[in-house]
Amino acid sequence: MKKGKGMEFVGDSRITADKKKFIPKDYSEYPGKTEAFWPNFLLKEWLVGAVFLVGFLCMTVAHPAPLEKMADPTDAAYIPLPDWYFLFLYQLLKYEFASGPYNVIGAIVIPGLAFGALFLAPFLDTGSKRRPIQRPISTTLMFLGIISVIWLTWEAASHVEWETRAEENKPVLEQEVDINTEDPGYAVYEQSCISCHGENLQGGAAAPSLIGIEYDVDEIKDIAVNGINTMPADQFEGSEEELQQLAEFIVSVNEEAE
Amino acid sequence: MLQKIYDWIDERVDITPLWRDIADHEVPEHVNPAHHFSAFVYCFGGLTFFVTVIQILSGMFLTMYYVPDIENAWRSVYYLQTEVAHGQIVRGMHHWGASVVIVMLFLHTLRVFFQGAYKKPRELNWMVGVSIFFVMLALGLTGYLLPWDNKAYFATQVTLEIAEGVPYIGEMAKTLLSGDPEIVGAQTLTRFFAIHVFFLPAALFALMGAHFILIRKQGISGPL
Amino acid sequence: MSEKKQQVSRRQFLNYTLTGVGGFMAAGMLAPMVRFAIDPVLQTHARGEYKAVAEVDEITTEPQRFDWTIDQVDAWYESEVTKSAWVYKDEKDDIIALSPVCKHLGCVVSWEGSGDYPNEFFCPCHNGRYYKDGVNVPNTPPSAPLDVYEHRIEDGTLYLGNAKPRGEA
Repeated sequence: MKKGKGMEFVGDSRITADKKKFIPKDYSEYPGKTEAFWPNFLLKEWLVGAVFLVGFLCMTVAHPAPLEKMADPTDAAYIPLPDWYFLFLYQLLKYEFASGPYNVIGAIVIPGLAFGALFLAPFLDTGSKRRPIQRPISTTLMFLGIISVIWLTWEAASHVEWETRAEENKPVLEQEVDINTEDPGYAVYEQSCISCHGENLQGGAAAPSLIGIEYDVDEIKDIAVNGINTMPADQFEGSEEELQQLAEFIVSVNEEAE
Repeated sequence: MLQKIYDWIDERVDITPLWRDIADHEVPEHVNPAHHFSAFVYCFGGLTFFVTVIQILSGMFLTMYYVPDIENAWRSVYYLQTEVAHGQIVRGMHHWGASVVIVMLFLHTLRVFFQGAYKKPRELNWMVGVSIFFVMLALGLTGYLLPWDNKAYFATQVTLEIAEGVPYIGEMAKTLLSGDPEIVGAQTLTRFFAIHVFFLPAALFALMGAHFILIRKQGISGPL
Repeated sequence: MSEKKQQVSRRQFLNYTLTGVGGFMAAGMLAPMVRFAIDPVLQTHARGEYKAVAEVDEITTEPQRFDWTIDQVDAWYESEVTKSAWVYKDEKDDIIALSPVCKHLGCVVSWEGSGDYPNEFFCPCHNGRYYKDGVNVPNTPPSAPLDVYEHRIEDGTLYLGNAKPRGEA
């Protein structure tokens, strides 16, 4: 091959005109049974990837991604909860030594130290030994870290009633329903129900929405008198005729909403 | 035909060495699960990358329907999930992928840690890797708000409170994140969207590029 | 069947398998996403409803513009959209309702919109012209006649549906 001035290039570029022949590697860089990345090793990796993908897709099909109700900043009853991988921080901030006046410790100092140490691990653990057993300090610290994170996550998760939570926060596409406030039933509604269920039957902090329920007239009459779930009995005050009007009004609103 | 196109490009740009280096590098025995089953621990890094690819793709497709606006964000998510064919699956992939990627990163980090693979000369790559972990957590945090449901809203409020708790710069940091000193609302959502979709992925790509270049340059760490 | 036996090297075989597995992964990942993306093309669109537009008595042989609103559901966004039509009676006393959207580039045409061209629809954007029956004047920009609304008459009221290209209505 010509060198220096005699070298030939493609046009005026820096790419040499005479191609070097490709010589396959002899794969003797490492001892033992080494192999080429492409295609030998990559095939194995992709087989693992394919199996993983099938499992992953099965999971997404079996468990639809959760979606709660549209954000309502006035919902005072809602208990916030972070994604599971932040639960350990959430739990940490519940403890006395990490909250109130010591909030900075829980929110900044402890996580800062832990993640800072993780980031700088190569400079804190400078020995040349690699086996975990030969560097007991870093191994122990890591184990302590993992155990505390797992324990905190567990503590946080075990106090959450996941199923009731999911049930209460099911998404509802709120419909805009024209509520006929002239209806005699609405007058009755104003007397007995409006304080909890809201002026548009939309519900509130203390009571659910009355739109999208699947009760018939008799069932509503029964609920108004005898209560249901957290709703106490005897909320309704009025005559039998008014009760009928009220129930028919609520049913009519629901029919319209469909 | 394809060969001719390839030769035409190769003559001008000399692309062969680029992919030959990646394709032909040697994979040593101790990382190959075919020889030592315990070497499956080396899969976690690759699986992290795979899930990241799934996240990028599904995220790109989700933005076809999603709008970052407090009036319509939740409605658009509800719509794409209930009305659009396979919307449930695509959002499911993005949602569960976010969790799986954290799990995989965690396992990958533990593998590297317990093997002491971060020691000289790989200190830099370890720090790049931990930075990727932080970026992923931040992606999870910002992505959590985007559907604008109750869970998203209230969790974000707590996050912002925590940010406010930082001494000296706390209040500024909170305002910077939420776009308003008091309200968690329209401006918070657009900011989180921009961070989630443009800023953090840009950082992620840069870091992943550095991570892979360093691995190719330094080679995989030897057996214990 | 060829007589010569094709030799497949180990490397080639691995390459084929690799391509297959890679294709499977790409397909598994992308199939739901692509179906998700192309959904609007495959959605069956509900036929537009007929809306009351005008009383038949009001309609003369001179094209008049009538406006009406429809409820438009655009995915998660519902709105009211105003539509309009040029409506007149032709010689046979049939009602013709023409869409005002120019077939050239979608501007809005108006009846006798230019003093230079009486008895024609005129589009101000590129001087497109149509005869009274909606057929485009040759050698002006539009390449097709104005769309015609499907119509129905009930109890002396004109109801209009969707606009269709001439020939299909």
